[in-house]
Amino acid sequence: MSETNNQSVFFGGRHYFVLFVLLCLMTGLVGRALYLQIVEKEFLASQGGQRQIRTIETPAYRGAILDRYGTPLAISTPVDSVWVNPTEILQNLPALKKVTKQLSMNYSETVDTLKRKSNKEFVYLKRQIEPELASLVSDNVDGVYIQREYHRYYPAGEVVAHIVGFTDIDDNGIEGLEKVYDNWLKAEPGARRVIRNRKGAVIEEINQVKAAQSGKDIYSSIDMRLQYIAYRSLARAIKYHAAKSGSAVLLDARTGEVLAMVNQPSYNPNQGKQQTSGNRRNRALTDVFEPGSSIKPFTFAAAIDRGLYDQKSIIDTSPGWFTVSGHTIKDHRNYGPLDLAGILRKSSNVGASRIALSMKDEELWKSFSDYGFGQSPGVIFPGESSGYFRHFSDWQKLDHAIMGYGYGVSVSITQLARAYAMIANQGQHVDVSLIRKEPAKEVKNQVERHVMSAKTANMVLEMMEEVVGPKGTAQLAAIPGYRIGGKTGTTKKASVGGYDEDNYFSVFAGVAPISDPRLVMAVIVDEPTQNGYYGGNVAAPVFQEVMSNALRILNVTPDDIPSLRAQIADTEKGA
Amino acid sequence: MRRVYGVVLLLAFVIGSALTVIYVKHESRVLFSELRNVQKKQDREIIEWGRLQLQNSTLAAHSNVESHARKTLMMKLPETIQLVWLP
Repeated sequence: MSETNNQSVFFGGRHYFVLFVLLCLMTGLVGRALYLQIVEKEFLASQGGQRQIRTIETPAYRGAILDRYGTPLAISTPVDSVWVNPTEILQNLPALKKVTKQLSMNYSETVDTLKRKSNKEFVYLKRQIEPELASLVSDNVDGVYIQREYHRYYPAGEVVAHIVGFTDIDDNGIEGLEKVYDNWLKAEPGARRVIRNRKGAVIEEINQVKAAQSGKDIYSSIDMRLQYIAYRSLARAIKYHAAKSGSAVLLDARTGEVLAMVNQPSYNPNQGKQQTSGNRRNRALTDVFEPGSSIKPFTFAAAIDRGLYDQKSIIDTSPGWFTVSGHTIKDHRNYGPLDLAGILRKSSNVGASRIALSMKDEELWKSFSDYGFGQSPGVIFPGESSGYFRHFSDWQKLDHAIMGYGYGVSVSITQLARAYAMIANQGQHVDVSLIRKEPAKEVKNQVERHVMSAKTANMVLEMMEEVVGPKGTAQLAAIPGYRIGGKTGTTKKASVGGYDEDNYFSVFAGVAPISDPRLVMAVIVDEPTQNGYYGGNVAAPVFQEVMSNALRILNVTPDDIPSLRAQIADTEKGA
Repeated sequence: MRRVYGVVLLLAFVIGSALTVIYVKHESRVLFSELRNVQKKQDREIIEWGRLQLQNSTLAAHSNVESHARKTLMMKLPETIQLVWLP
């Protein structure tokens, strides 16, 4: 009995001992748990997070550049680049063989290249391929990865290259609208913090670090239909006359929007970086020339606006030449007494100089400045020129006289087009813009900026109509059914020490239709060497072809139906 | 006795809310993976849209349309004499 008691006491001691040990263990565990939970919590959580939480980039697209009706001129599309880790992939040659076949690459060459670069961890296999092909390639192959990139496409290519410009490899605009509106177009990739599982798939989004900001689109003022016609027509003329270069600008006379602006030579912006700066230059805005006779309507306007002349005034241009400060100003032949329209029609330099000299130099300078010569056309474009127009205090008497027929002053073709648009717009300036304007906003913001009276403007318009008429220098600019007005210019190119005798600029600027001007176009061809060089032979036909198509495409109602009827009747009689 | 009922009730609430948390967490993951799928689809659609736009502008390039009209369809601009005036 006592033995049993002794035993039970013995076991009781053990019991407490075991209990004590268990309690110690328990305390240890709880203590450790508390320690981890409270003291080390932050460290552990951040460590765990580092293994699961990733910040990943949210892609964003650079905005598109569109024409006024939404045709894409520049768009970014996603492409994928395939890259490999050489150490990984070289251990799996059959897979590499399959991948190179899919990418139509040479297998043995690729292996050689990868072996040479085996100390690197990142080697591009092929850049910028279609995403579908890329995902096909990288599916289920360890060591082959894809990286999302964006490729900028210019579907309209060289036709609109000078206006749109292009971007560099990092998507920064470096020419044209791409450069001017870079901040507007630019995309800001966003960032998100996410939890990924063991396989690397995203299973939960924690928060958005930065919202992705896609670039905004730009509607340019260009009408691709007209742009294409203008490009084709100018290119053909440059080739036919074996000329060095050329530009043409077509403006909406009411709003100043550029509907077409083309230059030769051009380039393909899809391979922009390889181009010479000569091809890349938007000559219509950057290059200047002496406008020659094409400035005469403005000489007339300045004089008419001051009440010095009107339509009925007669100026005697005989004997076809006169001398200013020992320099002879001459016409092709003696035209005798002419009215103003006659001077414009014959393009008499003597008449134009006489009119210029009838004003004080300060007056002529003031008017020409008001008309925009020597002033920036306000397009906002890289390299845009304001032309060259000296202050009257620097003028000699000869400068004053030759200014009347467009020498001693330089303009860009866009400035010239803007000045003609001012005449077409009742003597009021419009802002030349490469960006589409909102019609409603324009009406609200319209500022009256008359630089000549509407009466003068209309008088000059009607005189310009005679230039295109049957006795004028620009008969090739005539369009059946429409009243067209314009002025030719053929200027000798200035060179070191004087003017070249056989190098010319051929210019034509015109307005259509006269009764309610809608469109203004200016064309310049630099150094035509074959098939004529007069503005009326070289530049006017380009104007005619583009303008007749533009009037048709824009549904401008013919304002000269009687002449069209007469022409049809004549042809029927003849046939 | 009432105190015991109170504790049991609270315990039930705690367990219930714990289960709800588990359920909601699960639901959110399911929805998130659905969102990811939709986003991937959107990405594919954007790629397709860009491709189609490029294709469209290539096929509808003005030079293309013009040569097609002139050569294949034998179209031309009417001569002045062919014009008909509608009163």
